[in-house]
Amino acid sequence: MQTEDRINIDIFKVVTRAIAESHHLEIMAKHLAQLLVGALEIKGVTIFATNVETKELEDLGSFGLSIRYMNKGPIHINRSIKSVEKHKAVVVKDVKNSDLLEYAADAIQEGIGAIVSVPIDFSGRVIGLLRLYHHDQWDISERDLDSLFVLAEIIGLAMMYARMNNAIHDVKDIVGDVHEAWLE
Amino acid sequence: MDAQKLLLPYNFSPNDQKTLAFVIRTFGSQENIEVTIFHAFTPLSEIEASDHQSATAKLKRRLSYLTQELTEREMALQEVRQHLIGQGFHRDNVRYVFKSRKGEISAAIIEQTKEHDYDVIVLNHKPGKVTRFFTGSVFTKVVTALRDITVCIVS
Repeated sequence: MQTEDRINIDIFKVVTRAIAESHHLEIMAKHLAQLLVGALEIKGVTIFATNVETKELEDLGSFGLSIRYMNKGPIHINRSIKSVEKHKAVVVKDVKNSDLLEYAADAIQEGIGAIVSVPIDFSGRVIGLLRLYHHDQWDISERDLDSLFVLAEIIGLAMMYARMNNAIHDVKDIVGDVHEAWLE
Repeated sequence: MDAQKLLLPYNFSPNDQKTLAFVIRTFGSQENIEVTIFHAFTPLSEIEASDHQSATAKLKRRLSYLTQELTEREMALQEVRQHLIGQGFHRDNVRYVFKSRKGEISAAIIEQTKEHDYDVIVLNHKPGKVTRFFTGSVFTKVVTALRDITVCIVS
């Protein structure tokens, strides 16, 4: 059981720089996951996007988890780590003694002891989740949880920026496909 | 007759398994087919750390231990190759490419295709994915960028 603060300003600088310097959201998500795993000495990290149509979580970037675990099945918004509410983190301190998980047996087989799930909000909506997996039981400190909320907000901004950027490129491609003959 | 060269981008997802099954079903009986299984991975994050005692320096040292995931991925790619061989593809005609990429996955696939002059590329496409809004569609980018190649889409 560990309750000491692990996220200091140095770590925060590194992970926010990874966000700011990435040109592609997928690579940003992957690097962020790698850095959080390294900095917090945890098992894995996944950044999910929420799909409101299918009511599932989609993996945007992940690090530290096995292929088998990543392919365990669809992750349903309402069943995965139950009681997910807007703006609230869910801390599963001990996976073996929790009824919150959709794939509890898979998590135990993967060697996951604890999970922290932080919503990624944008403009009042949950557009994703930042999920951290620890090998052991984990009593994350309030300060670290606050830091993860700030990080999740930055990720939310990066996601929406990437979405707008993609839209602009799509428009550019469509306009670029218009032959000059149509404009005469 | 020259062998047909087929590129199979693979990212270990259930959709990729469907694509693999399609390749076995459709091309498994052909003798003149060369299959390249392709996975381009994101390299470990590069962080600068001049002070050896700083948290970032410690983090950098720890990141070097995190190459285990890449090893697991490469082994899984080798298993996919073995699976194809087990399904009747000739050993000499199945290879895999496991390489680092700095940009988008679509750019890596396009570069690989153009450099090695493939005849066929097999992609998968899952409609309705929300991550496409954020990262762009690999399927769309690859299909619109390539010329003179047969593109098979497994949906």
